[in-house]
Amino acid sequence: MFPQRGSDEEKLNALLQAYKAACPDRDASANFMPALWQRIEARQSFSFSFFRMASGFVTAALALSIALGVYMSLPHTNSTPYYSQSYVEAVADANSSDLVFPVRLDVQPPAR
Amino acid sequence: MLVDFELIKRAQGGDAAAFNEIVTVYRKRILGTVSRLIARTEDVEDVAQEVFLRLYFSLDQLRTPEVFEPWLYRLTVNAAFDYLRKQRRRQEFRMSDLSEQQVMLADAAAGGKAEQEDQHHKKVREAVDSLLGAVSEQDRILLMLKEVEGLSLKELENIYKVNENALKVRLFRARQRVLKAFGASGKDGQGPQRPDR
Repeated sequence: MFPQRGSDEEKLNALLQAYKAACPDRDASANFMPALWQRIEARQSFSFSFFRMASGFVTAALALSIALGVYMSLPHTNSTPYYSQSYVEAVADANSSDLVFPVRLDVQPPAR
Repeated sequence: MLVDFELIKRAQGGDAAAFNEIVTVYRKRILGTVSRLIARTEDVEDVAQEVFLRLYFSLDQLRTPEVFEPWLYRLTVNAAFDYLRKQRRRQEFRMSDLSEQQVMLADAAAGGKAEQEDQHHKKVREAVDSLLGAVSEQDRILLMLKEVEGLSLKELENIYKVNENALKVRLFRARQRVLKAFGASGKDGQGPQRPDR
Protein backbone atom coordinates (compact mmCIF):
# COMPACT_ATOMS: atom_id res chain seq x y z
CA MET A 1 0.00 0.00 0.00
CA PHE A 2 1.12 3.51 -0.63
CA PRO A 3 1.88 5.28 2.65
CA GLN A 4 0.68 8.76 3.36
CA ARG A 5 3.23 9.41 6.06
CA GLY A 6 6.99 9.11 6.19
CA SER A 7 9.86 10.53 4.20
CA ASP A 8 9.96 10.60 0.43
CA GLU A 9 12.46 7.73 0.58
CA GLU A 10 9.99 5.55 2.45
CA LYS A 11 7.14 6.54 0.18
CA LEU A 12 9.20 5.74 -2.88
CA ASN A 13 10.24 2.36 -1.47
CA ALA A 14 6.64 1.54 -0.67
CA LEU A 15 5.51 2.61 -4.11
CA LEU A 16 8.14 0.42 -5.79
CA GLN A 17 7.17 -2.54 -3.65
CA ALA A 18 3.53 -1.97 -4.51
CA TYR A 19 4.57 -1.81 -8.12
CA LYS A 20 6.23 -5.20 -7.88
CA ALA A 21 3.03 -6.65 -6.51
CA ALA A 22 1.03 -4.90 -9.20
CA CYS A 23 3.15 -6.42 -11.97
CA PRO A 24 3.53 -10.11 -11.15
CA ASP A 25 5.20 -12.55 -13.55
CA ARG A 26 2.69 -13.38 -16.23
CA ASP A 27 2.27 -16.14 -18.70
CA ALA A 28 2.41 -15.66 -22.41
CA SER A 29 -0.59 -15.81 -24.68
CA ALA A 30 -1.16 -18.84 -26.88
CA ASN A 31 0.08 -16.87 -29.84
CA PHE A 32 3.44 -16.09 -28.29
CA MET A 33 5.52 -18.93 -29.74
CA PRO A 34 4.00 -18.93 -33.26
CA ALA A 35 4.47 -15.17 -33.46
CA LEU A 36 8.04 -15.50 -32.23
CA TRP A 37 8.90 -18.10 -34.87
CA GLN A 38 7.22 -15.99 -37.51
CA ARG A 39 9.49 -13.09 -36.58
CA ILE A 40 12.55 -15.34 -36.56
CA GLU A 41 11.71 -16.68 -40.01
CA ALA A 42 11.00 -13.21 -41.35
CA ARG A 43 14.38 -12.00 -40.09
CA GLN A 44 16.08 -15.09 -41.46
CA SER A 45 14.56 -14.70 -44.92
CA PHE A 46 15.53 -11.03 -44.95
CA SER A 47 19.10 -11.90 -43.94
CA PHE A 48 19.16 -14.70 -46.50
CA SER A 49 18.02 -12.49 -49.37
CA PHE A 50 20.45 -9.77 -48.28
CA PHE A 51 23.26 -12.32 -48.16
CA ARG A 52 22.33 -13.63 -51.58
CA MET A 53 22.24 -10.14 -53.02
CA ALA A 54 25.58 -9.27 -51.44
CA SER A 55 27.22 -12.49 -52.65
CA GLY A 56 25.79 -11.84 -56.14
CA PHE A 57 27.45 -8.42 -56.14
CA VAL A 58 30.73 -9.90 -54.95
CA THR A 59 30.64 -12.58 -57.66
CA ALA A 60 29.85 -10.02 -60.34
CA ALA A 61 32.65 -7.74 -59.15
CA LEU A 62 35.09 -10.64 -59.11
CA ALA A 63 34.10 -11.73 -62.63
CA LEU A 64 34.48 -8.17 -63.89
CA SER A 65 37.92 -7.89 -62.30
CA ILE A 66 39.07 -11.12 -63.90
CA ALA A 67 37.69 -10.09 -67.29
CA LEU A 68 39.44 -6.72 -67.07
CA GLY A 69 42.68 -8.39 -66.02
CA VAL A 70 42.54 -10.78 -68.97
CA TYR A 71 41.70 -7.97 -71.35
CA MET A 72 44.59 -5.85 -70.13
CA SER A 73 47.07 -8.70 -70.33
CA LEU A 74 46.25 -9.59 -73.94
CA PRO A 75 48.43 -7.96 -76.62
CA HIS A 76 46.18 -6.12 -78.97
CA THR A 77 46.71 -4.00 -82.07
CA ASN A 78 46.00 -0.39 -81.70
CA SER A 79 44.36 1.68 -84.35
CA THR A 80 45.97 4.74 -82.92
CA PRO A 81 49.66 5.26 -83.93
CA TYR A 82 52.07 4.47 -81.20
CA TYR A 83 55.49 6.09 -81.28
CA SER A 84 58.30 4.14 -79.75
CA GLN A 85 60.87 6.63 -80.98
CA SER A 86 61.76 9.92 -79.54
CA TYR A 87 61.04 13.10 -81.45
CA VAL A 88 64.65 13.53 -82.56
CA GLU A 89 64.88 9.95 -83.82
CA ALA A 90 61.67 10.32 -85.70
CA VAL A 91 62.87 13.51 -87.37
CA ALA A 92 66.20 11.86 -88.24
CA ASP A 93 64.42 8.91 -89.82
CA ALA A 94 62.21 11.16 -91.81
CA ASN A 95 65.20 13.02 -93.19
CA SER A 96 67.54 10.11 -93.65
CA SER A 97 68.68 11.25 -97.10
CA ASP A 98 70.01 14.52 -95.82
CA LEU A 99 73.19 13.65 -94.11
CA VAL A 100 73.93 15.99 -91.45
CA PHE A 101 77.47 16.28 -90.26
CA PRO A 102 78.76 18.30 -87.46
CA VAL A 103 79.97 21.64 -88.53
CA ARG A 104 83.69 21.98 -88.36
CA LEU A 105 84.86 25.40 -87.54
CA ASP A 106 88.44 26.42 -88.06
CA VAL A 107 89.03 29.15 -85.70
CA GLN A 108 92.10 31.22 -86.46
CA PRO A 109 93.54 33.60 -84.02
CA PRO A 110 92.94 37.20 -85.00
CA ALA A 111 95.81 38.98 -86.67
CA ARG A 112 97.59 41.48 -84.52
CA MET B 1 20.01 -21.57 -13.60
CA LEU B 2 16.76 -22.88 -14.99
CA VAL B 3 18.25 -24.79 -17.92
CA ASP B 4 21.32 -26.99 -18.20
CA PHE B 5 24.36 -26.18 -20.29
CA GLU B 6 23.69 -29.06 -22.63
CA LEU B 7 20.39 -27.53 -23.71
CA ILE B 8 22.08 -24.21 -24.39
CA LYS B 9 24.77 -25.90 -26.43
CA ARG B 10 22.14 -27.76 -28.43
CA ALA B 11 20.33 -24.49 -29.10
CA GLN B 12 23.62 -22.93 -30.14
CA GLY B 13 24.02 -25.75 -32.61
CA GLY B 14 20.73 -24.76 -34.25
CA ASP B 15 18.41 -27.20 -32.49
CA ALA B 16 15.01 -25.50 -32.72
CA ALA B 17 13.47 -27.80 -30.11
CA ALA B 18 16.17 -26.85 -27.60
CA PHE B 19 15.60 -23.18 -28.31
CA ASN B 20 11.86 -23.67 -27.87
CA GLU B 21 12.51 -25.27 -24.51
CA ILE B 22 14.68 -22.38 -23.36
CA VAL B 23 11.97 -19.91 -24.38
CA THR B 24 9.32 -21.93 -22.58
CA VAL B 25 11.39 -22.02 -19.39
CA TYR B 26 12.29 -18.33 -19.34
CA ARG B 27 9.35 -16.63 -21.00
CA LYS B 28 7.29 -16.15 -17.85
CA ARG B 29 10.18 -14.51 -16.06
CA ILE B 30 11.11 -12.38 -19.05
CA LEU B 31 7.51 -11.30 -19.57
CA GLY B 32 7.32 -10.29 -15.90
CA THR B 33 10.56 -8.35 -16.05
CA VAL B 34 9.61 -6.63 -19.28
CA SER B 35 6.20 -5.70 -17.94
CA ARG B 36 7.83 -4.09 -14.89
CA LEU B 37 10.46 -2.34 -16.97
CA ILE B 38 8.19 -0.83 -19.59
CA ALA B 39 4.92 -0.65 -17.65
CA ARG B 40 2.75 -1.00 -20.74
CA THR B 41 0.87 -4.24 -20.71
CA GLU B 42 -0.16 -4.04 -24.35
CA ASP B 43 3.44 -4.09 -25.60
CA VAL B 44 4.93 -6.60 -23.17
CA GLU B 45 4.70 -9.62 -25.45
CA ASP B 46 6.12 -7.67 -28.35
CA VAL B 47 9.19 -6.64 -26.37
CA ALA B 48 9.60 -10.14 -24.89
CA GLN B 49 9.52 -11.60 -28.40
CA GLU B 50 12.18 -9.11 -29.39
CA VAL B 51 14.30 -10.40 -26.49
CA PHE B 52 14.01 -14.00 -27.66
CA LEU B 53 14.54 -12.95 -31.27
CA ARG B 54 17.83 -11.32 -30.26
CA LEU B 55 18.64 -14.39 -28.22
CA TYR B 56 18.09 -16.62 -31.24
CA PHE B 57 20.36 -14.62 -33.50
CA SER B 58 23.12 -14.01 -30.98
CA LEU B 59 23.20 -17.34 -29.19
CA ASP B 60 26.29 -18.40 -31.07
CA GLN B 61 28.18 -15.45 -29.57
CA LEU B 62 27.73 -16.84 -26.09
CA ARG B 63 31.08 -18.41 -25.25
CA THR B 64 30.35 -19.77 -21.78
CA PRO B 65 26.91 -21.15 -20.96
CA GLU B 66 27.51 -20.25 -17.29
CA VAL B 67 26.79 -16.59 -18.01
CA PHE B 68 23.60 -17.35 -19.90
CA GLU B 69 21.20 -15.78 -17.39
CA PRO B 70 22.99 -12.42 -16.95
CA TRP B 71 23.36 -12.37 -20.68
CA LEU B 72 19.64 -12.96 -21.21
CA TYR B 73 18.97 -10.21 -18.68
CA ARG B 74 21.19 -7.88 -20.62
CA LEU B 75 19.26 -8.65 -23.80
CA THR B 76 16.06 -7.94 -21.89
CA VAL B 77 17.39 -4.65 -20.56
CA ASN B 78 18.57 -3.60 -24.01
CA ALA B 79 15.26 -4.47 -25.64
CA ALA B 80 13.33 -2.61 -22.93
CA PHE B 81 15.67 0.34 -23.23
CA ASP B 82 15.22 0.48 -27.01
CA TYR B 83 11.46 0.28 -26.59
CA LEU B 84 11.37 3.07 -24.01
CA ARG B 85 13.61 5.28 -26.13
CA LYS B 86 11.35 4.77 -29.15
CA GLN B 87 8.31 5.50 -27.06
CA ARG B 88 9.89 8.65 -25.71
CA ARG B 89 10.72 9.78 -29.21
CA ARG B 90 7.27 8.90 -30.50
CA GLN B 91 5.41 10.86 -27.96
CA GLU B 92 6.84 13.25 -25.48
CA PHE B 93 5.95 11.67 -22.21
CA ARG B 94 2.74 13.09 -20.92
CA MET B 95 3.34 14.99 -17.75
CA SER B 96 0.38 13.52 -16.00
CA ASP B 97 -0.72 14.85 -12.73
CA LEU B 98 1.05 12.55 -10.33
CA SER B 99 -0.30 14.32 -7.31
CA GLU B 100 -3.79 13.51 -8.37
CA GLN B 101 -2.75 9.94 -8.92
CA GLN B 102 -1.14 9.84 -5.53
CA VAL B 103 -4.34 11.05 -4.03
CA MET B 104 -6.30 8.43 -5.89
CA LEU B 105 -3.78 5.85 -4.80
CA ALA B 106 -4.05 6.94 -1.22
CA ASP B 107 -7.82 6.75 -1.52
CA ALA B 108 -7.51 3.27 -2.89
CA ALA B 109 -5.21 2.34 -0.04
CA ALA B 110 -7.60 3.80 2.48
CA GLY B 111 -10.48 1.94 0.93
CA GLY B 112 -8.54 -1.29 1.43
CA LYS B 113 -10.41 -4.33 0.38
CA ALA B 114 -13.37 -2.29 -0.72
CA GLU B 115 -11.41 -1.28 -3.81
CA GLN B 116 -10.95 -3.70 -6.62
CA GLU B 117 -7.43 -5.10 -6.58
CA ASP B 118 -7.02 -4.75 -10.33
CA GLN B 119 -8.01 -1.13 -10.14
CA HIS B 120 -5.45 -0.56 -7.41
CA HIS B 121 -2.71 -2.32 -9.36
CA LYS B 122 -3.52 -0.26 -12.40
CA LYS B 123 -3.19 2.92 -10.39
CA VAL B 124 0.11 1.82 -8.91
CA ARG B 125 1.42 1.03 -12.38
CA GLU B 126 0.29 4.38 -13.68
CA ALA B 127 1.83 6.21 -10.74
CA VAL B 128 5.20 4.49 -11.11
CA ASP B 129 5.11 4.83 -14.87
CA SER B 130 4.40 8.51 -14.56
CA LEU B 131 7.09 9.01 -11.93
CA LEU B 132 9.75 7.12 -13.85
CA GLY B 133 8.70 8.90 -17.02
CA ALA B 134 10.40 11.94 -15.54
CA VAL B 135 13.83 10.31 -15.44
CA SER B 136 15.98 8.85 -18.18
CA GLU B 137 15.50 5.34 -19.52
CA GLN B 138 18.84 4.29 -18.04
CA ASP B 139 17.83 5.46 -14.56
CA ARG B 140 14.46 3.83 -14.88
CA ILE B 141 15.82 0.45 -15.89
CA LEU B 142 18.63 0.47 -13.34
CA LEU B 143 16.26 1.33 -10.50
CA MET B 144 13.74 -1.24 -11.63
CA LEU B 145 16.35 -3.98 -11.74
CA LYS B 146 17.65 -3.12 -8.30
CA GLU B 147 14.56 -2.08 -6.39
CA VAL B 148 11.80 -4.05 -8.05
CA GLU B 149 13.49 -7.06 -9.62
CA GLY B 150 15.67 -7.34 -6.55
CA LEU B 151 18.90 -8.03 -8.42
CA SER B 152 22.07 -7.92 -6.36
CA LEU B 153 24.95 -5.61 -7.17
CA LYS B 154 26.91 -8.64 -8.32
CA GLU B 155 24.20 -9.56 -10.80
CA LEU B 156 23.98 -5.97 -11.97
CA GLU B 157 27.75 -5.97 -12.44
CA ASN B 158 27.39 -8.90 -14.82
CA ILE B 159 24.65 -7.18 -16.75
CA TYR B 160 26.15 -3.71 -16.99
CA LYS B 161 29.81 -4.80 -17.08
CA VAL B 162 30.87 -2.06 -14.70
CA ASN B 163 32.36 -2.39 -11.24
CA GLU B 164 30.39 -2.29 -8.02
CA ASN B 165 31.44 1.20 -6.99
CA ALA B 166 30.44 2.70 -10.31
CA LEU B 167 27.10 0.92 -10.03
CA LYS B 168 26.55 2.25 -6.53
CA VAL B 169 27.18 5.79 -7.73
CA ARG B 170 24.83 5.36 -10.66
CA LEU B 171 22.17 3.87 -8.45
CA PHE B 172 22.50 6.65 -5.91
CA ARG B 173 22.22 9.33 -8.57
CA ALA B 174 19.28 7.61 -10.25
CA ARG B 175 17.51 7.35 -6.93
CA GLN B 176 18.19 11.00 -6.18
CA ARG B 177 16.69 12.02 -9.50
CA VAL B 178 13.59 9.94 -8.90
CA LEU B 179 13.29 11.33 -5.40
CA LYS B 180 13.61 14.83 -6.77
CA ALA B 181 10.83 14.17 -9.26
CA PHE B 182 8.81 12.51 -6.53
CA GLY B 183 9.27 15.43 -4.15
CA ALA B 184 8.56 17.98 -6.84
CA SER B 185 5.36 16.24 -7.83
CA GLY B 186 4.21 16.17 -4.25
CA LYS B 187 4.99 19.82 -3.57
CA ASP B 188 3.78 21.72 -6.60
CA GLY B 189 1.22 19.28 -7.91
CA GLN B 190 2.56 19.76 -11.42
CA GLY B 191 3.76 16.24 -11.96
CA PRO B 192 7.31 15.02 -12.10
CA GLN B 193 10.04 17.29 -13.36
CA ARG B 194 12.21 16.16 -16.22
CA PRO B 195 15.76 16.27 -14.92
CA ASP B 196 18.76 17.34 -16.94
CA ARG B 197 20.28 14.42 -18.78
